[in-house]
Amino acid sequence: MIKAGQIDKGMALLVKGQPFIVVDREFVNPGKGSAFVRVKMKSPTTGQVLRETIKTQESVEDIMVDDKDCQYLYNDGEMYHFMDTETFEQFEIPMKSFEDYQFLMKDGESYRVTMWESRPLNIVIPFKVVYEVAEAEDAVKGDTVNGASKIVVTETGLKVKVPIFIKQGEKILVNTETKEYLERVNN
Amino acid sequence: MLSTFRSGSIPAMDRELVRNRSLLNQGIRNHFITRDYLEVETPVLSPTLIPETSIENFETQFRSDFHPHRTCYLIPSPEIHMKQLIARGSGNIFQLARCFRNSEQIGPLHNPEFTMLEWYTMEADYIDSIAETEELFGSLAQPHTPEHMLPPFRRMSMAQAFWDGVGIDLEKVQSFSQIRTAAEKLGLTPTAMRTTWEDEFNRIFLTFIEPGLPQDHPLVLTDYPHQIRTLAKRKAGTPYRERWELYGGGVELANCYSEETDSTEVAAFFAQEYASLIEQRTASGGVIPDIDDSYHTIFDAAFPRCSGVALGVDRLFMAIHAIKTIQGVILFPFSDRILYRTERYES
Repeated sequence: MIKAGQIDKGMALLVKGQPFIVVDREFVNPGKGSAFVRVKMKSPTTGQVLRETIKTQESVEDIMVDDKDCQYLYNDGEMYHFMDTETFEQFEIPMKSFEDYQFLMKDGESYRVTMWESRPLNIVIPFKVVYEVAEAEDAVKGDTVNGASKIVVTETGLKVKVPIFIKQGEKILVNTETKEYLERVNN
Repeated sequence: MLSTFRSGSIPAMDRELVRNRSLLNQGIRNHFITRDYLEVETPVLSPTLIPETSIENFETQFRSDFHPHRTCYLIPSPEIHMKQLIARGSGNIFQLARCFRNSEQIGPLHNPEFTMLEWYTMEADYIDSIAETEELFGSLAQPHTPEHMLPPFRRMSMAQAFWDGVGIDLEKVQSFSQIRTAAEKLGLTPTAMRTTWEDEFNRIFLTFIEPGLPQDHPLVLTDYPHQIRTLAKRKAGTPYRERWELYGGGVELANCYSEETDSTEVAAFFAQEYASLIEQRTASGGVIPDIDDSYHTIFDAAFPRCSGVALGVDRLFMAIHAIKTIQGVILFPFSDRILYRTERYES
């Protein structure tokens, strides 16, 4: 058991007997009210989203998990297919649990997967990732009205707003939480 | 590769930031001075506070060879002294006050030390203060200020927000068991801790209502339930208090009361709130500040009817300039100087 004030993103909690992954948590102190944590959790099995607001002093049940390095193989439109790089065992994670990850994960790349009682609960995407720009339109000259930016698509299909000087084939560093462009990466 | 970085850090000296902050302070002063408010300065260090269970305090010691030692507190709001000035006939007053709140999680909206603009308007009520705040926002707006920070303000009662958000008639959940049942029906997990009406209200409000409040313009949420004990006047013939909170872009910016001026009510508030505070902080080990038992006596027959607004200036600055974190508007954010570094995996 931990205090609700210690809940953090990526943590696994047991709610009504079911495991949930914390996808967002925000400290809220309503005007003239006590301190609460607003938590958004997701079931890794059903994709169900659960919202709760808990007093920071309240106890919640956290669960002990293992992190394993796993290779992301591919997705078939419904499931992400992974392989445990130690045991070479393959397993699946429903895509609806982590919908936007299809645009963040690269085929063949290793990711840390959080396991609980040999069930995969969470996929950990690094905070900053380098992607290759697969599609980019040429910048229109003189178009500086919108802060001189344009949208490009990475090799994973992620759409990112970038400065106009970014070209196809170049590499960019992206914040995977906000999906925001951070900088150009030189080869 | 595991690497460390400091989250939310800003360059030690950001000229633009310093300049804009100075302009904002000037703009605030101009607004009030041209409307005949007096700018006042009241103590930050105080031997007594107004009891507020929801705000943890900073405690310190006055030590001197010439006087008895005395425990003092850093004020969480300048209200305690500003009302004493009103009692002495100050008329309309405002202050840009440094305030301190302990134990809050340092985050994009919280720094333990922050600046509060607090102003009191005589012979006015909370509704009058809406127009005054709208004018203030109008005069402080910059060319790049987002639409959601510009007047006109939207107005909505808390009862309306509950009805629109979760289909609950607030007047039908006035008892603890009614609101607790409503919370459970909405899917909130019953808690093991003992809760109050206010806790259950806040769980519903924070989970289902606040995130969905309209954000296209500043929103004034009016008429808070009387069960939330404050120094706001009761709204006659209703279960509400004459209080509003102002949201800008979904963030709480200001709080306003038609101030309670009945000394019996103030004395009752002090007694009840202090009793809850002592109970809670005895259990948690938090600071129990001294209070002034005779404070209510300043609310005599001569104390004018008035409305008070407290507005977080750092948050206002963030919103006007579309800056995302409070660390981005404070020159020396607490987190950068004191707190741990954040560890994260980098590719």
